[in-house]
Amino acid sequence: MSTVGEPGGIEALYPFLAPAPADREAVVADLCASTRRKAAEIVALRRSLVALHAERLVTCARAMAAAFDAGARLFAFGNGGSSTDAQAVAQVFAAPPEPARAVAAVPLAQDVALLTALSNDVGYDLVFARQLAALGRRGDVAVGLSTSGGSANVLNAMAEASRRGLLTVGLAGYDGGPMAQEGRVAYLFVVPSVSVHRIQEAQITLCHVLWELTQRVLTGEM
Amino acid sequence: MGEDPTLTAGPTVSPASPASPASPASPASAVSAVSDAFERRTGPAGAIGEDAERIVRACQDMAERFRAGGKLLVFGTGGSVADAQHVAVEFAHPVIVGKPALPALALTTDMAVATGIARTQGLDGVFAAQLRLLASPRDIALGLSAGGDCAGVRNGLAAARELGLLTVALTGGRDAAEADHVLAARSDDPLIVKEVHVTMYHVLWELVHVFHELEAVR
Repeated sequence: MSTVGEPGGIEALYPFLAPAPADREAVVADLCASTRRKAAEIVALRRSLVALHAERLVTCARAMAAAFDAGARLFAFGNGGSSTDAQAVAQVFAAPPEPARAVAAVPLAQDVALLTALSNDVGYDLVFARQLAALGRRGDVAVGLSTSGGSANVLNAMAEASRRGLLTVGLAGYDGGPMAQEGRVAYLFVVPSVSVHRIQEAQITLCHVLWELTQRVLTGEM
Repeated sequence: MGEDPTLTAGPTVSPASPASPASPASPASAVSAVSDAFERRTGPAGAIGEDAERIVRACQDMAERFRAGGKLLVFGTGGSVADAQHVAVEFAHPVIVGKPALPALALTTDMAVATGIARTQGLDGVFAAQLRLLASPRDIALGLSAGGDCAGVRNGLAAARELGLLTVALTGGRDAAEADHVLAARSDDPLIVKEVHVTMYHVLWELVHVFHELEAVR
């Protein structure tokens, strides 16, 4: 877990950090150690995901590839940093490195006119659900990212997607939160961490691996 | 899709239920493909630890700029567009309650401005042109490039240097970037480079705050 940047102030976390300039190098040394710990943390966290999710990743990739072969589009959504991760997921599916096959993929937090209109008129909790109601078709793929697993608009979108017969893929952190409740999503990938940053870093890897496996199935390699 | 997938696939999907029975790979070899994919991340992610001092020095300089009233301007192309916005939201809206918001803007969110500039300066001139309009010399320019030749980011960093900004580049693969601080992910795979960048900018954010608060107690 993080040792810096948590509530309590740095004096509590780094009691030896006197503000005298001579101690600057001690600060640097301590922050280098903290950075090395974070690198080790994310390496270990990603490794732990193999045992937790390998089989589900394969099954999910096969289902997604079958959906894309049948003409599915992918919709990805999340809030804040996770909205940018959703954008990145849509980007790698729609504009992958050569020579991978591009498939239709749309991030749902990128259209500011739509997002502000829905927030203003209907409420923020429905910004993704309403878009899926308008755009989603049976057999499409909905990918929702929430580090807590509890974002109302992501959960509402998952419910709307399920009702409409979309394939639902959810990414959460901690213990999965409400997203882990029975029947919320078809394929759930929980990153067992309490650091929002490490969760996001591991979630983007899960999405990249899912993309890679989907490509392998699409090309007949798997 | 004949059946509602939400009814046929639960969170605990059996490994022996592949969608396509005629698939060439056995479940075991498919699972080992997953394991290989994760293992390819280990070296580049671990290497962040080896670059710790470079990262810390960048944070030290960035915190000084914030302390002097500077703002952070972030940009990238392709997949790095999302990262530019992710960096801006980390700084402007901290995930940890009680951390001060620091001024940060992504240059990748306004298609009207971007395509307007591109009409006269070309796509590779979009960030440089925006920096000339928005930047002050005490600001920080952070350019992200996940591999491949990214002229737009290079031009942005060059314009920022001319204007006197502190420049930070997150690069990967064989990217050559000129900046005060170059943090390179050690991979040729643009997806892995991106993952390393996410960890790097999360750490940048966190350590900038440590230095920022340290300055405050002086």
